[in-house]
Amino acid sequence: MKFNADEIASVIQAEIENYNSQVDVREVGTVLEVGDGIARVYGLSGIMAGEMVQFPSGTIGLAFNLEENSVGVIILGEYLDIQEGDEVKALGTLLSVPVGEAVMGRVMDPLGNPLDGKGPIKTNESRPVETMAPGVAGRQPVREPLQTGIKAIDAMTPIGRGQRELIIGDRKTGKTAVAVDAILNQKDSGVKCFYVAIGQKESSVAAVVKVLEDHGAMEYTAVIVSGASAPAPLQYIAPYAGTAMAEYFMYKGEHALIVYDDLSKQATAYRELSLLMRRPPGREAYPGDVFYCHSRLLERSAKLSDELGGGSLTSLPIIETQEGEVSAYIPTNVISITDGQIYLQPDLFFKGIRPAMNVGISVSRVGGSAQVKAMKDKRVAGGLRLALAAFRELEAFAQLGTDLDAATQSRLDRGYRMVELLKQGQYKPMDVVDQIMVIYAGNGGYLDKVPTTKVQAWEAGFLQFVKDQRPKLRQQLKEQQALSDELVKELDQAIADFQKQFKPA
Amino acid sequence: MAEHAENISTRFDPGQEHLGEVYAKALLGATEKTGTSDAVVAEFESLVEDVLNKLPALRETLFSLRVSHDDKLALLDKAFRGRMSEQLLNFLKVLSRHHRLSSIGPILNAAKKRLNQLRGRVEVFVTTAAPISNQLLETIDAKLVAMLGKQVIINTSVAPDLLGGLVVRVGDTVYDSSLATQLQKMRTVALEHTEQKIRQSLGRFVGVDSEQRSSNP
Repeated sequence: MKFNADEIASVIQAEIENYNSQVDVREVGTVLEVGDGIARVYGLSGIMAGEMVQFPSGTIGLAFNLEENSVGVIILGEYLDIQEGDEVKALGTLLSVPVGEAVMGRVMDPLGNPLDGKGPIKTNESRPVETMAPGVAGRQPVREPLQTGIKAIDAMTPIGRGQRELIIGDRKTGKTAVAVDAILNQKDSGVKCFYVAIGQKESSVAAVVKVLEDHGAMEYTAVIVSGASAPAPLQYIAPYAGTAMAEYFMYKGEHALIVYDDLSKQATAYRELSLLMRRPPGREAYPGDVFYCHSRLLERSAKLSDELGGGSLTSLPIIETQEGEVSAYIPTNVISITDGQIYLQPDLFFKGIRPAMNVGISVSRVGGSAQVKAMKDKRVAGGLRLALAAFRELEAFAQLGTDLDAATQSRLDRGYRMVELLKQGQYKPMDVVDQIMVIYAGNGGYLDKVPTTKVQAWEAGFLQFVKDQRPKLRQQLKEQQALSDELVKELDQAIADFQKQFKPA
Repeated sequence: MAEHAENISTRFDPGQEHLGEVYAKALLGATEKTGTSDAVVAEFESLVEDVLNKLPALRETLFSLRVSHDDKLALLDKAFRGRMSEQLLNFLKVLSRHHRLSSIGPILNAAKKRLNQLRGRVEVFVTTAAPISNQLLETIDAKLVAMLGKQVIINTSVAPDLLGGLVVRVGDTVYDSSLATQLQKMRTVALEHTEQKIRQSLGRFVGVDSEQRSSNP
């Protein structure tokens, strides 16, 4: 491409001719000390907490600590070129990030600067990073389902739009996989997705972005990255920045989903900042307001009232535990803030039960009211959670090797098959109609005669069978979203027909 | 610490600054009662600038923690009795008793600031690219008095990289009409607007031979 230099020169000339000079009035301070992503500044006597400041290199900072003799500033960016004695300018505004449709499909840092090499983000709109959560009058109860496409979750710990569901577990238990599957399943649902990576390896983030791209999910997803090498201030503000971008859609009456991966790293970054700022440490050396740090973030996820447009923001915060220790400080905090948790366990993961969800202690406190009616039906997933929990107890007992009566044995067989049925491959979200049909089949005992190892083959075959030969049944179930007696009859018939042709090889 | 500095330290230390304010408040509290504040502060300034800065040996002796309080008292009496106001001498003795003689620099700064405040005066720093004429200084003075509604003390300095215009600093607020800043600002604004215009109507800027491809920069 060849640019016309004369045209550009004429535009610049016009700019210079029309430039009207004004006296530049600014409030300033002087850098006393700088290092580790923070600076101590003397002066700036009129600055307010959270206000933006600018260093001579153009780097932005935030007034974090207002003290008697100095101001503690967190530096959002490169701090190595800031020196003692530099002039710091107060900007008189709060930190804000670009929002709007233009951010979708992009990979950005927490300040909204593109990282994906696809050019600038073209939008005129922005939102402050820190905003108040909607109040009591601005909300309504969660009532629409947010389908994650994962059988175990949609059946037993359903998530509603506007809910906060914690994903918690040790390292390498598939926490990110659950969240990514949930994002993949939002295709065609109109839900805008945001993935906030905090303190993650850049390679893992690149892998997630690749998966999203390969499955066509980047079209409705934005990724906000502050990697493990980013300074602590950026890791600290990343979730707030992501939430601001997602809130834009909520207040527009649309639906959004945000994944914070993960909040334990954000808490660590906040602890680092607070200790550098000499705020007093509390339990596990976290500052006293680390609870507020998470609660004010997660409170911004909401289902808005109809007057405000009825939009919603669902959040899936992730917390990594050490050796399954859920009673540590940050996990207990976030468990108490969220509306339920999905607990992933390494032993289940290594047994091949994936997603490795521990059904007994995973709960959803509000999603049940948003679950699809057919799924909640007693003949499908209603009571499945308790049945599975009972099965686990029975299984532990059966391992003692005693002779079992026929009734117990049959309950065990049913349990094994349900566990097998709830296994699901990664990046293979399943439509809720399919989920209902296979769970109905398992719960109704139609799989009891199928060998455990063939359950997954049966499932795949059955779904294909319905799709090819009973499209009407599938269509009706999709429209009605409830199990009428007629539909149950048809479903029974379909299962019986398929049983005849299914031959476990 | 100040002991190692060439002159009485100008290095900034918020702790020392706070200390200075406390002692300055006490000193001026005493001198205001007798109405001798202006004289004492002027004397204090002269002591620091004309005596302590010029006689490093005396300074180090007074600042040193190894020299006992009694020896310092004797030294102070011998050197200054009769040549300085009783109030300032007493103040120095108090400083010696509290081992705070080394903080004399920040104390002087704070005392000057506080006296200005009491008298309704504001210290203003004016920086220009070239030395400033007295006539211009008077105009600036008159303008500032009208603007701030207070008497002003003008400190001038010269910084050639401003290119032209002047920078006035009152407290933490800077009024900057320097050429350097103006050019910098003009540069950012012109760049931004030109970039916007190029993005809006790319065809206008792209040569004839590649007009077909103009949709994607």
